[in-house]
Amino acid sequence: MTPTISATALGRRYRDQVALDDVSLTVEPGTVTGLLGRNGAGKTTLMRIITGLEFPSSGDLRVFGETPAENDSVLRRMVFVREEQPYPDFQVRHAIRVASWFYPNWDEDLAQQLLRDFELPPRRRIKRLSRGMRSAVGIVIGLAARAELTLFDEPYAGLDAVARQLFYDRLLAEFAEHPRTILLSTHLIDEVADLLEHVVMLDHGRVVLDAPADDVRGTGMTVNGPVTAVEEFVADRTVLRRQRLGSRASVTIADPLDLAAHDQARALRLSLEPLSLQQLLVHAAGVPADEKVSA
Amino acid sequence: MNTLVNVGRYHLVDRFTWLALPWGIMAFSFLVNIGVALAVPTGPRGIYTGGLVSLYIFMLLCGALSMTRALPFGLMMGISRRTYYAGTALLVLTLAVVYGLGLTLLQVVERATNGWGLKLHYFRIPWIMDGPWYETWLTSFVLLVAFVLYGMWYGLVFRRWSLPGLVAFIAAQIVVALLAVVAVSATHSWSGVGHFFTTVTALALTGVLALIALTMGFGGLTTVRRVTI
Amino acid sequence: MPALDEGTPLFVQIAEQLADDIVDGVLAEGARVPSTNELAAFYRINPATAAKGINLLVDEAVLEKRRGIGMFVATGAREQLRASRRKRFAEQYVDPMLAEANRLGIDTDTLVTLIQGPGWHNGGSTP
Repeated sequence: MTPTISATALGRRYRDQVALDDVSLTVEPGTVTGLLGRNGAGKTTLMRIITGLEFPSSGDLRVFGETPAENDSVLRRMVFVREEQPYPDFQVRHAIRVASWFYPNWDEDLAQQLLRDFELPPRRRIKRLSRGMRSAVGIVIGLAARAELTLFDEPYAGLDAVARQLFYDRLLAEFAEHPRTILLSTHLIDEVADLLEHVVMLDHGRVVLDAPADDVRGTGMTVNGPVTAVEEFVADRTVLRRQRLGSRASVTIADPLDLAAHDQARALRLSLEPLSLQQLLVHAAGVPADEKVSA
Repeated sequence: MNTLVNVGRYHLVDRFTWLALPWGIMAFSFLVNIGVALAVPTGPRGIYTGGLVSLYIFMLLCGALSMTRALPFGLMMGISRRTYYAGTALLVLTLAVVYGLGLTLLQVVERATNGWGLKLHYFRIPWIMDGPWYETWLTSFVLLVAFVLYGMWYGLVFRRWSLPGLVAFIAAQIVVALLAVVAVSATHSWSGVGHFFTTVTALALTGVLALIALTMGFGGLTTVRRVTI
Repeated sequence: MPALDEGTPLFVQIAEQLADDIVDGVLAEGARVPSTNELAAFYRINPATAAKGINLLVDEAVLEKRRGIGMFVATGAREQLRASRRKRFAEQYVDPMLAEANRLGIDTDTLVTLIQGPGWHNGGSTP
């Protein structure tokens, strides 16, 4: 089956910086892929090229097998929910109405339901909405469009935790009932970790990780206990990070542990704490060991 | 085709700017002119004003707005830049047909009432919009299209290159005009130019205007291809 | 919403929770198992992950697919699971208990008494 998105040695440079460098990846149809990375890693640039808003400097990008830029037949099969979407001087209902004209799979009932779920007043001017509610408008359009390829670029600026969970739940329900290809770029990895099938991580414009989420999950563990016991346990394992406080140590290792290893840990009275997807990805990005992780 | 129509519908969500304001502004300008005609003693040939230009200038503004304020959301509707431009142009053509007809009707009434009883020539522009109704319709149509496309081009230039680009754009036009003047002088063709303008028919002039409109359209289409949001 | 821990792969956890329900008799043999979409919504995970979990159990012949209707608990599934879990019982529960008892100096006889009687609440005094 043709991949939905296919990038080959994609590059994008501006006068003074390289936004994307030799990016090659594929996104398979009907999957949920997380596009992860720090600020400025190139996630937004990549999504803008996918949606035809920007043109690559080098390399090749195909969506549904064709170049997306200025390609109406490809563009109408995609919807892009951006972080800061500019609207004309519209009311909420105008934006929804206009979107309903353009998207072939638009579901009006779903749109109205989502407006109620997010408590968006249809007759309020978008300009006068709070940041979170503006984001919600984008999300409503993005979900109700039922586009074959749906891209979200940090779509929840200003949304509180309750609204974000509402978004994830609706996204999941929609995806389950009307499968589509989803590419979601986010900082809040742990919130969406269970929704992702595949993760791609960018760092300084390069792909540093491209793997099924299941492969990444469970590959890291923090071992806590008395120093000697911990050191004995991690003796021939890949250590990512070491921390000591008095006679106790906390060491993070990258190797998966089998049942025998678990038994050994129990025997040594060590506690094992699996790393969250977010922590794993932070390590994958090569953050220095003693730098704080902010969620 | 449906998508192009939807772009037009998108612009028309702002009915106030596209439908109400042009006629409102023109009506205001017209009333001002009536007031002037009442206040000032008119000669035997009547009063000629250029007040109608207010409509055209405002439509130029609408064109500019369509490519600045309305563009970002429009492009996010899953359409290419050229489709957005073409859809907007289609709306402009449609409105120009309708508005041109409106202006023609008003011209007919003006002529019938001998300048609204005041010998005011507001809807009758001597020599280009003073003839048969079908010529007036065609001329006002072409003129409206030219003005709006011109405005759209300005909007796009501003989007792509902001203020410096806008200044360069205007400067370039001035340079082209100057070059034309120099060329005419150098070839001693002023009499030829004068002869052209005195003998040309309104229809021929409309043809020239149509060419200008096409140039505007082509310019805008070229500029839109790499505009970013 | 039951918590899923970070250690074992999600789909394995899904399979194990379904297996737990079968062993406990909550999911009877021949009963319909929740669909992948229902599981996905319930656990707030990707449907593909839920499907992987179900397929694990299908591979073990614990669940069977009835075309057009859904997934059902296979006949004999409960016994099958109990048998395989009995095999793991020693590794998972007995060995750790013995290791800890050894560490605390509890001898085998005391262990047996503890297992047999309820008196262990009183700090080790045997009834």
